[in-house]
Amino acid sequence: MNKQSLIYTVIFTFLVSFVFVTVLAFANDSTREQVQLNQELARQRAILNALNIEYSGPDDVQAKFNDITVVNENGTELYQAQKDTYTAVAKEFSGSGLWGTIRGILAVHENMDRTVGIEIIEHNETPGLGGRIDEPWFKEQLRDLRIVDGAIQVSGAGDGDEDKDNGEIDGITGATRTSDAMDVILSNEISTFQSILGGNS
Amino acid sequence: MSDAKAILKENLWSNNPIFMQVLGICSALAVTNLLVNTMIMTIGVVFVMAMTNLTVALIKGFMPRKVRMMVQTLIIAFYVIIVDLLLRAYLPDISRALGPYVGLIITNCIIMGRAEAFAQSNPPLISMWDGATSGFGYMAVLLTIAFFRELLGFGTLFGIQVLPDAFVPWTIMVTAPSAFFFLGIIIWIGKTIMNREGAAA
Repeated sequence: MNKQSLIYTVIFTFLVSFVFVTVLAFANDSTREQVQLNQELARQRAILNALNIEYSGPDDVQAKFNDITVVNENGTELYQAQKDTYTAVAKEFSGSGLWGTIRGILAVHENMDRTVGIEIIEHNETPGLGGRIDEPWFKEQLRDLRIVDGAIQVSGAGDGDEDKDNGEIDGITGATRTSDAMDVILSNEISTFQSILGGNS
Repeated sequence: MSDAKAILKENLWSNNPIFMQVLGICSALAVTNLLVNTMIMTIGVVFVMAMTNLTVALIKGFMPRKVRMMVQTLIIAFYVIIVDLLLRAYLPDISRALGPYVGLIITNCIIMGRAEAFAQSNPPLISMWDGATSGFGYMAVLLTIAFFRELLGFGTLFGIQVLPDAFVPWTIMVTAPSAFFFLGIIIWIGKTIMNREGAAA
């Protein structure tokens, strides 16, 4: 058969595409469960991190997560955990970063006095620059930070703001627009929390 | 196998994809600010390039000339998606860190260049070897660039602090422009040594 003929070309292209796509479909199907499991685990881990609950292995994540109360408040899922002296409330957020959506979990004290913590689930910021929002030093800044005038300011750039009472955190050097995006996201989230929890700060 | 040796030397040195053919520059600029990311990304490239060359060499006898490049692209995309799925299922943390860069392996011109220049006219096993060694040549240059960029940009190597705290990180090393300088310097050194070798011979 003439390999350069139109019919052969069409049949060959069709067959090759068919074979490769079929194999891919199988590969996708056989890893899907594992991928979903990973995503679910990542989400639960993020919620626990934001709520400042420590855990060890994957089984422990599951167990600790089961202790959290899930409340549905007008379509928004809230995750509540009872701490020694207060109740911590966490909520998933998403907002636009520089290159794409930033998704994560923010947790606050029920009385909107302080934050409890933050965890980033997904982002597309520049690796090494804006991408550093998921590094511990950045997230640690939002651990027990006082909320001043119903807002958290991302101001300037630095290595992490140690002052937990000024309602401010440091932005990231060289990633002004990601820092600005975080500022907007945090302000929005705090006001959403305020409208849901009816905070007094 | 003197053939295999000659190919190894050619792909690692005298015909290195980056500093002789000046291909694959976009990814050399984008992923080289952290050694870990560079490592995983280039391992992915080695795998995709070896398998693509093998597959192309196996089916080249059946391939109509007209759809040659289209089929090559399909094969490359196929292996890249396999890598992406494996990372997502079994190394979720690294998959998160690399984000869109894994998908971008498809657009790496070195892969198609080798498929077109070597695998189209050589037997399967030696083609696979050619693909893998081209990948190693690419890996060697990228890791060299990443070594200096991570060292000077973060003061770390593979995430481990090596420079004293007093060292002020160079922000430009984290951003893409610094890779231009390093790539230029590497091409310069490489070509100079090669010219000396040529003059001596």
